[in-house]
Amino acid sequence: MSGQHIFLELILMPLLAFMIGLFLVLMMRKVRARIERRVGPPFLQPLWDIIKLYVKKMQISHGVIHDLGIIMLLGGYITAEVFLPVPGMSGFTSQGDIITLIYLMMVPSLGLALGVGQCANPNGSIGISRALTAMLAYDIPFIVVIAGACLYYGTTDLTEIIALQKSQQWGLLSMPILALAGLIAIHAMLGKEPFEIYVAPAEIATGPMVEMSGKYLGSLFVMQCLQIYTITVLYTSLFLGGGYTWFDFIPKLFLVALLPVMITVIFPRYKTDDVLRWLWKWPTGLALLGLAIVVLQG
Amino acid sequence: MSVLDLDHVFFLLIVNIGIAVLWGNRPFVGKILTLLYILEGLSILTSYHVLLSGAVLSSSLTFTVMQQTVQWQLGVSGGFFALITFMAAGLATWFSSGVWARSYAPIRLLHSYMALNVAAMLLLLASNDFLGLFIAWELVSLVSFLIIAINGGRSAKAAYSYILYAFLGAMAILLALIIIWNATNSFSYVEVRHHWSTMSVNRQLIVVLLLITGFGIKMAILPFHRWQAPAYAYVPAPVAAFLGAISSRMGLFALFIVLLQVVGIDVIQTLWLPFEIINMQTFLLWLAALTLIIPTFIALRQTDARLLLAWHGIGQGGFMLLGILSANALGTAGGIMHVFNHASYQAALFFAVFSVSYRTGTADLDRLGGLVTRMPISFTVMLVGIIGLAGLPPMNGFVSKWLIYKALLDEGMPLLFLAAVIGTLGTILSVYKLIHNTFLGQLRLEHENIKEVPWSMSIPMMILASIVFITGYFPGLLLESIAAMQSTLGISVVDYHLGGVNTGKGNLNMIVVVSTMLMAIGMGALIFFVLGNPRKQVTQWDNYAGGHFLTSDMRYQYSHNFYPGLMRVISPLYRNTIFWLESAIVSTVQFMAHISYALFMQANYLLYLILLVVISLLWVLAV
Amino acid sequence: MQDSLILLVVLPLLLAFLLPVIARYLGNLSGLTGSLLLLFNILLLANAWNSVGYSPKVILLGGFAAPLGIVFYIDKLNMLFAILTTIIALLLWPCRTHNTDVREYVLWLLLLAGCYGVILSGDLFNIYVFYELLAVASYGLVTLPATGASYIAGFRYLMISALGSAFALLGIALIYSFTGSVNIAHLAQIIPDHLHHIWGYSAALLLIIGFGVKAELFPVNFWVAEVYSHADKRVTALLAGVVSKIAVLIILRFIILLFPWQDIFNFLLLLGIIGVIVGEFAAFYAQDLLRLLAFSSIAQSGLVIIAFACATEAGIMAGIALAIHHLLLKPALFLLASHCDRSINDLAGLAKSSPWASALFVILALSLLGVPPLPGFWAKLLLLQSLMAEQYLLLLVLVLLATIVEAAYLFRLFMLFYQRQEMPEQKRITIQGQELYPVITLSGILLLGLFFLPLFMDSLREIAMQTSNIEAYINTVLGKVQHIGEGNI
Repeated sequence: MSGQHIFLELILMPLLAFMIGLFLVLMMRKVRARIERRVGPPFLQPLWDIIKLYVKKMQISHGVIHDLGIIMLLGGYITAEVFLPVPGMSGFTSQGDIITLIYLMMVPSLGLALGVGQCANPNGSIGISRALTAMLAYDIPFIVVIAGACLYYGTTDLTEIIALQKSQQWGLLSMPILALAGLIAIHAMLGKEPFEIYVAPAEIATGPMVEMSGKYLGSLFVMQCLQIYTITVLYTSLFLGGGYTWFDFIPKLFLVALLPVMITVIFPRYKTDDVLRWLWKWPTGLALLGLAIVVLQG
Repeated sequence: MSVLDLDHVFFLLIVNIGIAVLWGNRPFVGKILTLLYILEGLSILTSYHVLLSGAVLSSSLTFTVMQQTVQWQLGVSGGFFALITFMAAGLATWFSSGVWARSYAPIRLLHSYMALNVAAMLLLLASNDFLGLFIAWELVSLVSFLIIAINGGRSAKAAYSYILYAFLGAMAILLALIIIWNATNSFSYVEVRHHWSTMSVNRQLIVVLLLITGFGIKMAILPFHRWQAPAYAYVPAPVAAFLGAISSRMGLFALFIVLLQVVGIDVIQTLWLPFEIINMQTFLLWLAALTLIIPTFIALRQTDARLLLAWHGIGQGGFMLLGILSANALGTAGGIMHVFNHASYQAALFFAVFSVSYRTGTADLDRLGGLVTRMPISFTVMLVGIIGLAGLPPMNGFVSKWLIYKALLDEGMPLLFLAAVIGTLGTILSVYKLIHNTFLGQLRLEHENIKEVPWSMSIPMMILASIVFITGYFPGLLLESIAAMQSTLGISVVDYHLGGVNTGKGNLNMIVVVSTMLMAIGMGALIFFVLGNPRKQVTQWDNYAGGHFLTSDMRYQYSHNFYPGLMRVISPLYRNTIFWLESAIVSTVQFMAHISYALFMQANYLLYLILLVVISLLWVLAV
Repeated sequence: MQDSLILLVVLPLLLAFLLPVIARYLGNLSGLTGSLLLLFNILLLANAWNSVGYSPKVILLGGFAAPLGIVFYIDKLNMLFAILTTIIALLLWPCRTHNTDVREYVLWLLLLAGCYGVILSGDLFNIYVFYELLAVASYGLVTLPATGASYIAGFRYLMISALGSAFALLGIALIYSFTGSVNIAHLAQIIPDHLHHIWGYSAALLLIIGFGVKAELFPVNFWVAEVYSHADKRVTALLAGVVSKIAVLIILRFIILLFPWQDIFNFLLLLGIIGVIVGEFAAFYAQDLLRLLAFSSIAQSGLVIIAFACATEAGIMAGIALAIHHLLLKPALFLLASHCDRSINDLAGLAKSSPWASALFVILALSLLGVPPLPGFWAKLLLLQSLMAEQYLLLLVLVLLATIVEAAYLFRLFMLFYQRQEMPEQKRITIQGQELYPVITLSGILLLGLFFLPLFMDSLREIAMQTSNIEAYINTVLGKVQHIGEGNI
């Protein structure tokens, strides 16, 4: 691979991720609006939101770490995109496997946490405390799912996992229980109801976002796009055979994102304790069952 | 360089001890000692290529007893650990060499004990058979006791409980050695390995368990974990950093040598616990996993930064053991690498925490906050340290943990992998609390005029932080020695390059990962700083409070019981079983002691004795 | 040449009788005569050591051959103990303390004569006689401080010793009534095979318990704490260091030569391990330093007895090593502790007032604990090896666990010593002056001995070999031809 090619991918992959992420966000907002019998935002609304926030006049910084946290958050996701294979581009996937990817995905959380911490607002800190607790909750089933999938494929290299699925069958078919558990886990990961205790607008003034104004919030919006993209791509690569071309890849992403959104609206919010208990009980149980099946088959 | 390179090091160590004992109170001595430690490290480093080729550095220190020749020579494993020891000791002494020394009265004791510790550890690392190992082991225990007890009071109490545990461990090791001696008539590693199978399976099992207990106590594996955190927390800064970095890893070193070189992982894999319930290796792996998880979640509950770090030290020890016992090239490499990595970030973290308590007078996480603007260097060091401890890229902790995760997945142990990740997640929660409660959040009014610590303290911290980053960037630097270690021990060797490892089924190249991260963070910075309107910085106390008027003397820092939801769920799991067990044992011993004493103090003892004799005489006559 | 060794016993006795007269003319200098005597004894022994060589020798007293005549048996083990006794006695000799009563010298000399006699004698009755001599002298020495507590301790000691003597005498009587002999070599031919029944066992138990009183054997050792904490510290040191080891030596001879039965070994192992456990536990509870040391001494004697009760060459070697170690070490510890006859809590911060003494105490106590590379470790290692060789795993574990208890109280003590807490002036304890010389000599011997460890191990093995060689003992004493009275039963 030539250096030029690599450089191109380095720019292109995050950019594509951002764009697809924008559409995923749009879709989520639209679907949600439709279920709530609203019209929903126009086509470019997510982008306009971000631009609006960036050009706002009032940009309050609470200190260097506040800025650094935001940069870390963006940087973490941009890095993660380069390690996620998409049709036609595999970036650095061969140099860092799925374990690396999972841990790269924790870097933005840490960045956010640092930035919010510097703001010194107790609501923000409470939000982070809840977010990290939620991370502990959903990562356990998620890790079991990853372990099961890696065990089944016998590799932790994402490109190989995709290639294996293409040559045999999709993970969804070979490991249905794990796929289901994974779906629940990514639902929690996306922070949608009923797992959105850490933003809880009425209670802690949307938690981590409480001191975020202007482009700080705008960057969080960017992060949201990248986050949805990353999670859906990861799930698609693990269970839906990745993408043959962009034309089947993008619908898969939308499908994966659609499922949580379809059901999220009908839920109220779980307490932190209940998030933990529920996620450690059902998806974890399912995932362990799926893992047991994988181990017994293997 | 001559063959007896190790003699130079021993000589330097003796000089070191001498200087520390004689002139430890003088202001310049800390710097001289630092230089000496560096010199010792360098003298090993200059002949490191010899070690890498599989040769040893021998010393003239030797004696023969019971037909056993005990001699001290440093192999590559010992050399690797010795370098970590010198790094930790040198930087710790540097830290204490300047202004800090003025705030600490028994500085001479500190320097002397530190030098003694390093010397004893080197003896341990250079030991070459069970007898030498045991002698050095006891010396290490004693000098650790000295250095732990240095502050008196709480730390003396902790040292006392340490030495009891250490003796329990020493006795277990001694018993194992005696059983081994009985079967093989030798203390030498080679002979023991050769004649290992002459022992019955039960004996083998007992010996392995005893060795695990004995050496494991030093690294505080479950259920012997209770002594370590208070012992490592209530000591002065350089001591805490030194102990946290390397001291308890001596147990790991001994286990590494004994289990992998002498017993052999293949033997451990074929040993079964009674009734064939569980394989020895699996048992030990789960022990390691519990040692990872339980102390980590105990750390999560701490409100004292020092205790928090000390508990994490125990947990990370479990990580290392998990790697070493995985019987996988990647796993052993990860386990050993984690020793170095842990030493570097743990020392950095202790330095950062103690810098804060040096300036503010407390390490209580409920009484700090917002110090990032006042102590930016300490904050940066702590940030690097916690990223390393939590095992996130780009720091070195990630690499070793990745190797261990990968090994566990490759060996088909998904549940252990899950356990390892749970440990990591707990660590992330806990270290965020650490940095948030110390450096982020609201600055307390009384800390308004706090300054950064002086250079003599911040330079060692920064050196450590850069080591954490550099070895994360180029893990091949460490993997080279680890591969040499693996080949001398005769176990499978990791396929490494400067940036990481190739396994064929998922690779890691940290050079790429870290470079990408740096570039991505650059991109993020570009997006953030260039796009949009310029930002305006407000003061640290300018805050939104939902309609209330906030003043700086109002405390609104969210710090105590940082994870209430989580604690509500998992607090029933903290049962203090071991604490209960420990006090039960203490009470039993006291009860027995009282009974024994009372027996001797009987006024009519003689009468009872005569009665007893008369009765037995009658019985004899009757028979 | 070896015949001159009789002088070992004779000279102290003679001097003991003459001393009151000498004291009239020389006054305080009369103590020096005792020192000179001991020096002479050392020379005598050193001279004889070379000539003993590899084969043991026998001295016939009065010209009658054994088994009728009285014999002194001389082998390396006896010589070793005689030498060590002399050295310790010389170091502890009371003449350096001011205004010593002449009666004290006399008692010391009698005690020493008893010690030599017990060590060298080759027949049961003489052993008993010298043992009584030793016992009577020690009653007097124990009560020398003339305090109420020392009288009470002395009385307890007297009572239990009297019981022990009665037992021993009873045992000897039993044996004599069955065999018609008291010569050990002669008995060694008869008892193991012909007295292997309840009366033989009874005699064995009576003898072991009887001599066990001085050996600090478990059920008959309750005098130890009181006596050691209230008697003069030099006397304590001598009793704890030397006399107890001599009594153990006698028991060793008995079980090797006379009663080599597994039941007896097991019985001794049981008593030994109970002694170790009870001793360590009691020491853990003890609130003053002297009692603590006394209880630890009980435990150490238990260890020696366990080692001997293995009755193998390795066991004997281990036992001798432990005995020598304790014999050199305990006197030093008792002397160091001699000013500390109060609660151990008063010792807080001792290291500040007497740093060298406390450092020495710590090093010696670590050796007691068996911390490598101090000499105690090697002795303990030998013990553990011999236990393992006999597959006494349970015993092994108990010994090791007892060591942890020992570590618990010793380290508690160390921490008190080094506590950084100022004691009020009047409570401050210092160790100085005359105690330090013997202590330094003893610990010097111990620590320097470490450099000759391999050499020492070899000679120990040799001694153990010689000791466990029953044939050699019998042949040496009786000559190859004499098997008189074998058919007496």
